[in-house]
Amino acid sequence: MASFSYKVLLLILCTFTLAHSERLHEQIYSSIEGGAACFRRLNGTHQAGCSSADNGAVGVVHMIKEINDAQWLVQNGSAGPYMAVVSTVQFYDVIEIFMQQPENVAGILLYDNATDSPTAFSQESRCPNEYSSASGSTCSSTVAGGIVWNTKGTGLLRRDIPFPIFYLPQSKSDEIDKIQLCYEKFNLDKSNQKGNPLCSLQLNSFMFAAVNSEVCLRRSASSALLNPTKVCDPLGDNNVYYSLFPRTEETKSSKPVTLVTARIDTASLFDGVSPGAASSVVGMVTLLTAATTLSQLIPAKDAHLYEQNVLWTLFNGEAFDYIGSQRVAYDISKGMWPAAAPLSPADIRLHVEIGQIGGALSNTNNDSSWPFHAFVPYTNIIPEINEFLDMMTSNAKPYNTPVITPEFTMNLPPSSLHSFRRILKNVTESGELPEVLLADHSNTFTNLFYHSALDEYGKIYFSYKNLTISNTGVFISTDELLANGTLKQGDPQVKIARLATTLARTLYQTVTGSAYSGNISASAHLVDEMLYCFLQSQACRLIMAADYASGGGSSPPASAAPLYVGVAAWAGTAPVFAAHLLALLTGAQLPANRTVCDSLAEPGFSYYWLRGWNHSGVCIQTTMNMSAAVSPAFAITDYDLKSGVYSSWTESVWQAMSARVFVSAGGGGAGAAAAAGATVTVLAALLTYWLHRHADRIFAAPAASIVNDDAASGILRTVNC
Amino acid sequence: MDLTRLPNDKKLQLCRWYFKVGCLLLPFVWAVNAVWFFKEAFMKPPYDEQKQIKKYVVMSATGAAVWVAALAVWVTVFQLQRVAWGPTGDSLSFIVPLGRA
Repeated sequence: MASFSYKVLLLILCTFTLAHSERLHEQIYSSIEGGAACFRRLNGTHQAGCSSADNGAVGVVHMIKEINDAQWLVQNGSAGPYMAVVSTVQFYDVIEIFMQQPENVAGILLYDNATDSPTAFSQESRCPNEYSSASGSTCSSTVAGGIVWNTKGTGLLRRDIPFPIFYLPQSKSDEIDKIQLCYEKFNLDKSNQKGNPLCSLQLNSFMFAAVNSEVCLRRSASSALLNPTKVCDPLGDNNVYYSLFPRTEETKSSKPVTLVTARIDTASLFDGVSPGAASSVVGMVTLLTAATTLSQLIPAKDAHLYEQNVLWTLFNGEAFDYIGSQRVAYDISKGMWPAAAPLSPADIRLHVEIGQIGGALSNTNNDSSWPFHAFVPYTNIIPEINEFLDMMTSNAKPYNTPVITPEFTMNLPPSSLHSFRRILKNVTESGELPEVLLADHSNTFTNLFYHSALDEYGKIYFSYKNLTISNTGVFISTDELLANGTLKQGDPQVKIARLATTLARTLYQTVTGSAYSGNISASAHLVDEMLYCFLQSQACRLIMAADYASGGGSSPPASAAPLYVGVAAWAGTAPVFAAHLLALLTGAQLPANRTVCDSLAEPGFSYYWLRGWNHSGVCIQTTMNMSAAVSPAFAITDYDLKSGVYSSWTESVWQAMSARVFVSAGGGGAGAAAAAGATVTVLAALLTYWLHRHADRIFAAPAASIVNDDAASGILRTVNC
Repeated sequence: MDLTRLPNDKKLQLCRWYFKVGCLLLPFVWAVNAVWFFKEAFMKPPYDEQKQIKKYVVMSATGAAVWVAALAVWVTVFQLQRVAWGPTGDSLSFIVPLGRA
């Protein structure tokens, strides 16, 4: 009998749990997963980016299919504020409408449509890093028209946006379908929205910092006893550098260097979505591949034979007023970089910057061409530069690519050369530090997705070939891959490999003094792997082999490493990957076990115990090192952040970012409840008043003795007191 | 405490004591004093100590009013000018607002 009642109880409990397993707020709200929010960054004078109110921004969903929808929203929408749901195709046309009249706009949900993709999409300024440019730059983002680098740039990355924006990538199209369904069910009757239940969106991306970097850093540092909230952090990460031959205090002055630079980082308006294929990855991969090839052309043990050296450097944080290169140029001017054997401007024979390349790959994906422009910021002839360009052209001959057109102009495209020209002004402008910039665009960018969430691998027509690497780390040669049909002449892997070969052979000629006659060239297979690592997945062969052997063997996530520079307090993974790849691909493998490897310390070298190609652990001797890519603005004490001399970008702290859709009540129910409440209150008051007046009809008169008793009234009075 | 049950000299003593405590930058004590002894000072039929009580009540009320006025002016000025004062405004704030100037 007892067990039977237990069973009944259990059954009742089960039914109860099943029926009410969903919480009330889960029945009301449906959260939008996988969105990336626009967040706030600050510089010395302004705040840029987005923030919602503390408890999120709420607005009625309005799907924007054409410009008229946006105009209706800002001018005629009666049930506002509205949450505009815009595709990347429409965004460029409607964003200015919302920015001009933001009163009726609660926020924007931006989505990327798989079937309809925009021809251009860039939230960067029309003149990127305009205010950190060297003299001679003619690009102006404030003047309408004119020739600007980034023609389709909206500049949102540098503007204060008065509402939150969330971005949903293609893979999250089901969330958009969900919103579309809800929209069609409730919001279609545009003339009759007010007072009816409406499909609404809530976007929450509240930012702690405000005003500018000076204010937010002051508030972060203030040691208020009860309020130790950090509101912003300086941007920054690490630069990576590697020299062909070791540089020590003793040998450094005898060997002038050719400085070859590129950048690691990229940017976008949205948190965690900055693929940067053509903005930075192609340049970085070219540099890494060329460095690998040159180390094969000239073995490090031949250092004593040559009078020149090559210093390869990858800058970080370049998207935000050239953080990394400003720091390096500043440190060079103070005689502090590289730390072990500081370089003086006189030691730099030539500075070659691999600028923004990759944009033109989309126009030339059917043939082997890849036109280049070499920007030379001098009016007089600089022999080192002419020599370099001649050597590049002659070394490129076997491939008919790249064709390099020299551009003698003071109007340099955005690149780290601007930092060197501003900070090391005396030596660069006189031509004593010859500089040349390689880019695959001339007056305007060929990359129409500069610094955007859509600057993905597809835009440079990259498709991963997934070829196996041998246990000894030998890559299949480009010629073999072309011969067996794995790759075509038009593939980015082949073009990058050829550019890297040309660059490596030119540097070989610079170092040795004679043209290269052998047949070593950069492998398109290596380029294929490297592009895959930086654009698609960190769980790739190269990064697995270049990881620390002590890493525990846990596999990195199958997504690309974030290439946004991030905050200085938090070391990013991308520069570490680049550094380890340089070490593994260019360093010397020593026959040492781990304990011996860790105890080695020859000056000019560092030693890394990496996993190696067969993951059994390998000791690498390398000249690779890292240096801080934190703006001098945060290194100089008492620096005036408003002065604009150095990059002063900081990133706001935030607590949570979330988006959810729900049906907001029409207001009828709430009105009825309020009216009913008021009526009941009035009735109750009237009833009480009536009862009070006619109490004698209901209650018998109280006994006189209680009222008149003196002792009792005394007690009552005491209690009252 | 019920004032009506207190002898007049004790009332004066109490009122004077409250006034003195209020002098220690405690305007709220003055305000309490003024309200509490208002009836004693102005409504009750005259008695010996009433004149003195009246004096303390008036002084307490005036003091409290001056305080209220001064605080109101300060709060208004602070709220309007905190942002313009910059670093001074921040260091005068106990809770610095997040996400705005």
